[in-house]
Amino acid sequence: MLSRLRELLSWCLVLLLAGLGFWWAGRSREPRSEPGRTEITWYMIITPLRGLYEEQVAAFERAHPGIKVRICWVPGGEFNVKLKTLAAAHQLPDLFFTGDVWLSYLLPFTRDLTPYVQRDAAEIGLEDYFPAIRRAMQLEGRYYILPEYLNLSLLYYNRRMLAAAGQPEPTADWTWADLVRAGQALTQPGRGGRPDTWGCARVEGWWGEWLIYVRQAGGQVFTPDGRRCLLDAPAAVAGLRFYLEKSSRYRISAPAGFEPLNGFVNQRVAMVLGGHTNYWLNYNQMPALDWDVQLLPAGPAGRSGGELAIAGYSISRTSRHPEETWQLVKYLTRPEAIAAVVRHGHLSVRRSVADAVLQAPGPRANPRNLAAAYRQFEFGEPIPHHANYIELMFQVVQPEVDRMLLGELTPEEAGRRAAAAVNAFLATFDPRAG
Amino acid sequence: MNLRRAESRWFWCFAGPALVGFGAFNLWPMLYSLGLSFCRYEVVAPPQFIGWQNYAYLFGHDPSFWPSVRVTLVFTAVQVPLALGAALALALLLHQPVRGRGFWRAVYFLPSILPQAVFAVVFSFIFQADGGLLNQGLALAGIQGAAWTTSPTWALPVLILVSLWGFGYPMVIFLGGLQNVPRELYEAAHMDGAGAWARFRHITLPLISPVIFFNGVMGVIGALKVFDLAYAFSLAQGQMTPGGPARATLFYGLNLYQQAFGYFHMGLASALAWLLFAFILLLTVINFRLSRRWVHYGD
Repeated sequence: MLSRLRELLSWCLVLLLAGLGFWWAGRSREPRSEPGRTEITWYMIITPLRGLYEEQVAAFERAHPGIKVRICWVPGGEFNVKLKTLAAAHQLPDLFFTGDVWLSYLLPFTRDLTPYVQRDAAEIGLEDYFPAIRRAMQLEGRYYILPEYLNLSLLYYNRRMLAAAGQPEPTADWTWADLVRAGQALTQPGRGGRPDTWGCARVEGWWGEWLIYVRQAGGQVFTPDGRRCLLDAPAAVAGLRFYLEKSSRYRISAPAGFEPLNGFVNQRVAMVLGGHTNYWLNYNQMPALDWDVQLLPAGPAGRSGGELAIAGYSISRTSRHPEETWQLVKYLTRPEAIAAVVRHGHLSVRRSVADAVLQAPGPRANPRNLAAAYRQFEFGEPIPHHANYIELMFQVVQPEVDRMLLGELTPEEAGRRAAAAVNAFLATFDPRAG
Repeated sequence: MNLRRAESRWFWCFAGPALVGFGAFNLWPMLYSLGLSFCRYEVVAPPQFIGWQNYAYLFGHDPSFWPSVRVTLVFTAVQVPLALGAALALALLLHQPVRGRGFWRAVYFLPSILPQAVFAVVFSFIFQADGGLLNQGLALAGIQGAAWTTSPTWALPVLILVSLWGFGYPMVIFLGGLQNVPRELYEAAHMDGAGAWARFRHITLPLISPVIFFNGVMGVIGALKVFDLAYAFSLAQGQMTPGGPARATLFYGLNLYQQAFGYFHMGLASALAWLLFAFILLLTVINFRLSRRWVHYGD
């Protein structure tokens, strides 16, 4: 009897120890905030502007002694995975960096900022944001993000290469035909039968370039309600065809797989259509690279269709300190903060800051034709605000576009296959699709 | 009886923590993922039961599923025999009584110490279409090299080639097997007039057949689960989506990872994981059945 009791007790002890072990392993490791101060956590992508943000936070904390900000720096490639994992564990930070490209995807745990924006519209200078930016800030009429900078599709060109080929610089009235004509003049034959330099880069692996052509040809990826893919429509196919024919017919871009590595920076590619404003900083660190920008060349259906994507701040739905976090968001997006970001080579989301930059006297770093970049705002379009957009583009559509470039599919087949696969996905995973 | 009980208690004391660990961190997640494979679960909302819909989507509509199956099977069918052949050939060479044998064994084993991801990155620079070492060398000879890493035709063969550098572990196991073959058998065969090929065919191969079988089974399982090599290769190419170009290197494991941690389709990823588990189980059972015909355990 005694031995049975002893055995039972030892089992209880083992279970108790195991339970303590699990509790210890799973306990919250959030650092305790200082007494009398509210601590807010901010998840931020590691960026070259890290020092600037740390200075901003230090200044914010001095201005708001009751608030402490803890910044968690996360590598860009892991950022959204980390964020969703935290959401699953109910450990979301108060504030996180995001963009309208990701917003639909992150919406389930993003706070609706509309009441704050409406309340503080004058203080945040809502009217100071460009109209195109204000549109990108909203999802079905509600605000979920306050922007800090943006990416905008533009035509980038190498001034020196154009001059060497005796070509005039691109003008605001360029069309696809002008792009092809200049591209052919800039494509220089090299040894071994393959050109050494190409007239125009081809952005492969994502929608950065081909979506422009699809839209400029009058096509769209989705119906306005996002329930059906339209890449099989004739206009969209025409856009895909131009993307393909840049190399297969006009020979202004390298064949698929042979795009020179960092071709624009290494001056082996004279023009880039689309591009990314995040590269401006890198471009300006190359003294030999004399570059500028122009409006996108117009397609058969017009000039609109280039990407306009904002990046900024959202507050998590579960934040325990939304008001304090909102104070920080306002601080990070005030005109002075935006001006600091613009000085590091970004475009301004605020009209007042843009005007100040454009009217500033004296020489300006590239791009010199900054006015064209701001004019391109009129023609920029946000990417479709669809919860599955990024996944569908990368996982479903892009491989078909790749196969088209490789000559395995015609543009019609690529469009048809992509649309069919997207629609099958939507029918299974998107409850809205009928 | 007391001794038996004491033994039992000690058994549970020693085995208990491992069993608890196995139950909590292996068995329970496995069973949970089986349940999830019948749900729509995107992490941010609770799982929602959808029956066989994930499996139906994979088999019927998912544009990535069949390409990933094809890539993985082709890789397995080509890489495993090549890797085993290379490992066996090297083991045979390193089994010869030559000077500095230990040194050469270490030299040939060294590449296996490095992770496959390192090879993927280094070789992707060598095979780069524009400016890669191989194509620069070919250009000197007046040959225009292919887009080795960015062409769907060449990307998988390049990956197979890169993966062969991991031959060190099967080579060491083959060496162990070769050292267990009794020398007298070779001497007797030699006296009977058997040549080198006959000795290899009728003595070496049958006696190391358990080792070949072991390496074969492990090689097949490893090949079906390839992930790091393909993932690092994609990253080194600067691909926005791993598995390119045009899904030519979309291995099953990579597809599963993308579904789970790229897009958080945990239900779909669980279905993929269970299909892989079932396939590996089936293949291993078949392997064991077939092994009765050609594997000799010396009994």
